[in-house]
Amino acid sequence: MEKTIIINIGNTIIHIEESAYELLKAYLNEVKQYFANHADDLEIVTDIENRIAELLTEQLEEQKKQVVDTANVNSVIGQMGRVQDFDNAEADTEEEPIINTTYQAQPADKKLYRDMDERVIAGVCAGVAHYLDFEVKWIRLAMVLMVFLGGTGILVYALLWIIMPKAKSRIEKMEMKGEPANLQGFQRNLDEELQMVRERLSEANKHAQPVFSQFGNFIGEFFEWLGRFISGTGKVIFKIIAIFIVIFGVLFLLTLIIGTAAFQGFWDASIYEYFPFSIINEGNRGLIILSAFIVCFIPILALVLFSIRVAFSKQAINKTLSFALLIIWLAGVATVGYQAAKISSEFKQHAELTQTNELKTLPTYIIDIDKSKYFSKEDSIAYHIDANQKNQIVVDDFEDGPFVSPNNIRININKSETGVTRLTQKFESQGKTFQSALQNAQNISYTYISKDASLIFNPRFQLRKGTIWRNQEVWINLEIPVGTKLIIKQDSYRYVNNYGTWDCEDKENDSNDYSTWIMTDDGLKCIAQLKEEAVKKQKLEEELYDLKTLQKKKNVDSVYQDSVSNRIKEVKDELGINTEENNND
Amino acid sequence: MIAENTQTQMRKGILEYCVLSIIARGEIYASDIIAELRSAKLLVVEGTLYPLLTRLKNNGLLSYNWVESTSGPPRKYYTITEDGKGILSQLDQTWQELAYAVGISQKGANS
Repeated sequence: MEKTIIINIGNTIIHIEESAYELLKAYLNEVKQYFANHADDLEIVTDIENRIAELLTEQLEEQKKQVVDTANVNSVIGQMGRVQDFDNAEADTEEEPIINTTYQAQPADKKLYRDMDERVIAGVCAGVAHYLDFEVKWIRLAMVLMVFLGGTGILVYALLWIIMPKAKSRIEKMEMKGEPANLQGFQRNLDEELQMVRERLSEANKHAQPVFSQFGNFIGEFFEWLGRFISGTGKVIFKIIAIFIVIFGVLFLLTLIIGTAAFQGFWDASIYEYFPFSIINEGNRGLIILSAFIVCFIPILALVLFSIRVAFSKQAINKTLSFALLIIWLAGVATVGYQAAKISSEFKQHAELTQTNELKTLPTYIIDIDKSKYFSKEDSIAYHIDANQKNQIVVDDFEDGPFVSPNNIRININKSETGVTRLTQKFESQGKTFQSALQNAQNISYTYISKDASLIFNPRFQLRKGTIWRNQEVWINLEIPVGTKLIIKQDSYRYVNNYGTWDCEDKENDSNDYSTWIMTDDGLKCIAQLKEEAVKKQKLEEELYDLKTLQKKKNVDSVYQDSVSNRIKEVKDELGINTEENNND
Repeated sequence: MIAENTQTQMRKGILEYCVLSIIARGEIYASDIIAELRSAKLLVVEGTLYPLLTRLKNNGLLSYNWVESTSGPPRKYYTITEDGKGILSQLDQTWQELAYAVGISQKGANS
């Protein structure tokens, strides 16, 4: 089998085999080149072409063939004569020398092509080697060295790859190797090629392929494989991802439906007493839940439908329906937005309510936190807790998390100006109007226990049944006279607002689960720290005394004197003694 | 080598004269000229003829007509011009002189 080309030569259409075509083309190129400097080159070449067409047509008719083959072309060339034969007959004209120079200059005319026959990657090195008349291995070595030179080689190679065309036809291959593109060169090339094919055939069963060409094959196949992978397997990967999205999306949608149904089912359940559900007004709960459901459900549904389309190349839903879904979703978003705005408007006004209790004046108070959970009377019944059963304690685990209401109390400790020990509870809340804010504040239920010297606080406050969360807060303000000691238990550290209780550590006794404080004129002080400071002060005073005796000895060394007086200054600064005051002594 | 070169020289000179002589006998197609030259063993390849014909035509010694062909495109048929005829009669004379010169050279003037 051979590829056939249709050519138009001398106004005649001829079918010609590819190899014959190349042979003919080479011959005509040779002829054209020969007459290139002739005054009437076009006319002569046209005459020759016409004659060739005539001869070929005659041959086809004689041999009853459809397609011209190399034998036909060779016989025509034999009849027309080679360029050398022209020389013998036409050597008398003055154009001859010019013709000869053109003809001889031809071999030097090399062109830069990529050599696909000797390639490792794309035949760039081999092509360059042909062009520069170097051995390929040196060019390759240079290229590899350049790769190590900060990767320049890769860039250069890629650039050359782009710039240099492939040597596809025989003529191009001959141009690449600098062989004259005439008939002899062409035939030599053809012979070489045949020889190579024969060699390859004989070597095929010996596995004697050179390492380079094997590596080249590998790379070529690798890139081919990569291309196939991206266009073929890549799609498969997308489909697999899409299928995963479909599966998880459907699961999520089911969860959402079940979750919403559960919410609606436990209409009056205690979930609404917990943050963040306690924010929602009772009347709008159904609507808000429905629109929140729509807002979440529809985008995921859309994602699942899109994934179905990617995975199975099938439209799962028509345009009208998807448009309707979009409208419903927008309605849902609008509802949620409206409700959110409405709820946030209920945080506009602020109201607070204080309740003051005077306590017995005692030298020491203990502040502690009651870890047992607060239960309203209804809760106690619901959980079957017998209030009279003293040995039954439910302990709150103090977990912080998204569903834990921000109902923590905060304790401020202040100095009592009047000398009376007082405990003030301040209830704060937001509301749409001052009235409703006050109402919300009043609906805070909070208790603490004052028993002997112990003040036991509940860590959380509760909202009375039916009250919605409007940023209610409880502040406890403990005022104690100067000189009163406070023992703060570790559990309550996190609730004390205005002192860094964590810093007060008794170093001698750090296993204590409490810290001891005393109220002074400057506020509450950590006793352990006061002790430490007193010890430090004493040490500094001793040092000062020593330094002063040194100074009185009047040492001659002025440098020593200076350092002593400097140290005295430092120590005095640390003790807080005024230097001027000292001068008066 | 020297013989070959001389032969070529001699043939080249005569070729033009022969071509003109053939065309002078009547309108003729290039391929037929070749055939005649070949039978006269003067020329073997066709490619040589075309530049020669073109040159003679450009010098005004020949002209050609396009004649329809039964098979394929029209063909160029060459005829001799008046100038050509003039040149040919000169060449005829030169040939006579040359033939005489050659005869004399070979056999001697006295025979």
